[in-house]
Amino acid sequence: MATLPAFFRGTAETGFPAWSDSEPERDPFRLRTLPQEDVFFYCKKIDNGRLVREADPQARGACWSAIGAACVLLAVLTSVLVPNVASTLAGYKLQALRVEERQLRDEERTLEVQEAELLSPQRLETLAQGQNLVAPLSGQVVRLNAKGDNAVAMVK
Amino acid sequence: MVDRRLAWLAGIVLFWGAAIFYKIVSLQVVHHGEYSELATANQVLVEDIPAPRGTIFDRNGQPLAMSLPTESVSIDPLRAPDLAVASELLAMVLHLDRTALYGKMKWAHDNRHRFFWVKRKISHEEAENLRDLRARAGLAWIHIQDESQRHYPKGTLAAHVLGSVDFEERGNAGIEQVLDAELRGQPGQTRMLTDVKRRGIDSQAASEMKPGTPITLTIDERVQFVAEREIAAAVEAHHAQSGSVVVMNPYTGEILAMASYPTYDPNLPPQRGEDKTGRINHAISVPFEPGSVFKVITLSAALETTDLRPTSMINCLRGAITLFGRTIHEAHGGYGTIPMAMVLAKSSNIGAIQIGMRVGQTNMHQYVRKFGFGRKSGIPLPGESGGKVRQLARWSSASLPSMSMGQEISVTTLQLAQAAAVVANGGLLVKPRLVSKKGGQTVPAEQPVRVLKPETAITMRQMMEGVVMPGGTGTKARLQGYTSGGKTGSAQIYDPAARHYTHSYNGSFMGFAPLTNPAMVAVVTLNGTHGTAGFGGQAAAPVFHAVVTEALRVLDVPKDLPDQAPASTLAKSDEDAADLAIADIGRGEPNILEDGDEEDQPDQPAGPTVPNFRGMTMRAVLSEAVAKGLTVLPDGSGVARVQDPPPGSTLHQGERIRVQFAR
Repeated sequence: MATLPAFFRGTAETGFPAWSDSEPERDPFRLRTLPQEDVFFYCKKIDNGRLVREADPQARGACWSAIGAACVLLAVLTSVLVPNVASTLAGYKLQALRVEERQLRDEERTLEVQEAELLSPQRLETLAQGQNLVAPLSGQVVRLNAKGDNAVAMVK
Repeated sequence: MVDRRLAWLAGIVLFWGAAIFYKIVSLQVVHHGEYSELATANQVLVEDIPAPRGTIFDRNGQPLAMSLPTESVSIDPLRAPDLAVASELLAMVLHLDRTALYGKMKWAHDNRHRFFWVKRKISHEEAENLRDLRARAGLAWIHIQDESQRHYPKGTLAAHVLGSVDFEERGNAGIEQVLDAELRGQPGQTRMLTDVKRRGIDSQAASEMKPGTPITLTIDERVQFVAEREIAAAVEAHHAQSGSVVVMNPYTGEILAMASYPTYDPNLPPQRGEDKTGRINHAISVPFEPGSVFKVITLSAALETTDLRPTSMINCLRGAITLFGRTIHEAHGGYGTIPMAMVLAKSSNIGAIQIGMRVGQTNMHQYVRKFGFGRKSGIPLPGESGGKVRQLARWSSASLPSMSMGQEISVTTLQLAQAAAVVANGGLLVKPRLVSKKGGQTVPAEQPVRVLKPETAITMRQMMEGVVMPGGTGTKARLQGYTSGGKTGSAQIYDPAARHYTHSYNGSFMGFAPLTNPAMVAVVTLNGTHGTAGFGGQAAAPVFHAVVTEALRVLDVPKDLPDQAPASTLAKSDEDAADLAIADIGRGEPNILEDGDEEDQPDQPAGPTVPNFRGMTMRAVLSEAVAKGLTVLPDGSGVARVQDPPPGSTLHQGERIRVQFAR
């Protein structure tokens, strides 16, 4: 298939449209020319080793200035943005902790109620009766801890 | 050509800029408030913080009532797309009756209500299921709100003292009702800045949440439990209608236990048609004729106002006395002339009448009032009855003998405990205390009022010991290892409908232990017992024994007797335990229980008021003192300059006025 330039080039050379039937001299078995068929590329080694870049202190200074300015801008942006970001992240964390604190307080209260239920005198008596335990008589209980800690006691 | 194009371009850019500027001005200036509000509504979440109701502790810090967070479900019926489907879903998740729920939702919808409680105080599982459903189906018209629910972890323990709360957590009985304002906290609000996923970024308290004040009671849950257990057993065993026990520290007035039976579970809301008897605190709300326990007051008044002493011989007339044309007999048998101490130990009605007659109406009335009868004790519980004491002017000739043995007066169990404390603590009337601390602050005790001289109180204690000793009517109350004193009482119950006394009894026992330095007083009352087994000595004294034995152990009170089993604590016969007060002496008079609350008015001063003698001559002072029945000790001569007690103060029984005269 011919490319559009080749097509137009062909039509320009003949002065007739390409699809015209009046082209008798063209050999139907001749292969079409490939684009750039007549162009040949070759490599030529060029040695630029002797070339020396000319010192340009002005450009160098401008470059460093740009780098410095970019760093300063980055630092300023960082110093402005980081606290905000940190504050927002801390806010998330704080809120999560507040929610957790409330949940833990609620849980603590629930556990306190459960503990109180477990230590109910009614329940303890039922348990004691189940194990054939009886309440000690007055004076039978000797507290080992003089401070009145009820946890440590001995039954005579 | 190029210039024209540039001009067009510039124009378009200018127009574009102008449009942007206009929009910016519109957003930031013209509609700033409106958009700001919309943004705030989007970003700021206002959260209610429910204030937990204050916890109620016993004296040892054991929680008796606590509030736990819970959730309730409400909907906006106008936003629900299909009420039938909505009710179906909600009924399924919340375990409700679908038809009933649909009916209520329809009613709310038809009446254009935008709020409807579907179910209050739902369980954790129900809340989770509903939350799931709402999230998955995007049911924004369902709201789950934080609330709190009252729990009474000990069940029925101290139910009448604690009371209960309604659905809004407002106290509707007991301490919960009286101290509702302090127990109820103040809910707060926070404004929380949220992100697009409604996660909190920052929060600010719009109003501070103040939790309810924790209350510490004087109740000891262990003593309370024993009191409840024993009174329940006694009521059941004696087929009584109700019973109550009050255990009190006689020096501070602290109530260690206040039990009433039948009882109820404050965790369960009252049901329609439920018998309300269980919710009545019989210890403070149901006055009754005390019977023989009241002889303690009679004898105390006699010791103070007459020359009678425990050894003074009282003629009990062999068990029969004729008053107002009627012959009255002892409950069982009769006694001849016996010492006053024996009158108390044997609970002789005729002896008490004889002693009461010696005391006289005025003194008797005065001492009854001094002991705190006929007025409310001021305990912070709702529905307290002050009992009834007739005004002196309304006393009939039968009133004095009736009252001498505990008839024609109605008292509560708490009032009896208060009176027993007077004897136990050396003669001071203390105000019963139920609240020990409010939010860590100790509630100050009120100054006690002297009623009896210390020596009278000690004498009474010794006489009351005789009641629990062999031969007394209250031997079943005798303790092992501790000295104790008390008094039994049995009074027939008056039937206001039939207007006569029935054969049901109020059996009671009031006592204290140990004798020398009482650690506690306890009063037991059983209402509606039958037969001699329902008398105070038979029915109430064993409850006193069980409760006080346990309470002394729990409070670590040292023993004051050698560790040995008491001698036979059983009465030799029913006669020994018979302490039935003679009912209905004054026939024809209306019963005290039928009277109105005439003496619930403010009290009159207990004694006469000291007049102002200053500036008066000795003759004028003496004549005025004689006219008013006062005793004056004059000193000096001239006109009265200084007097003690000062003018206007109340003169106590036997007190004299010193007046210093000078020229």
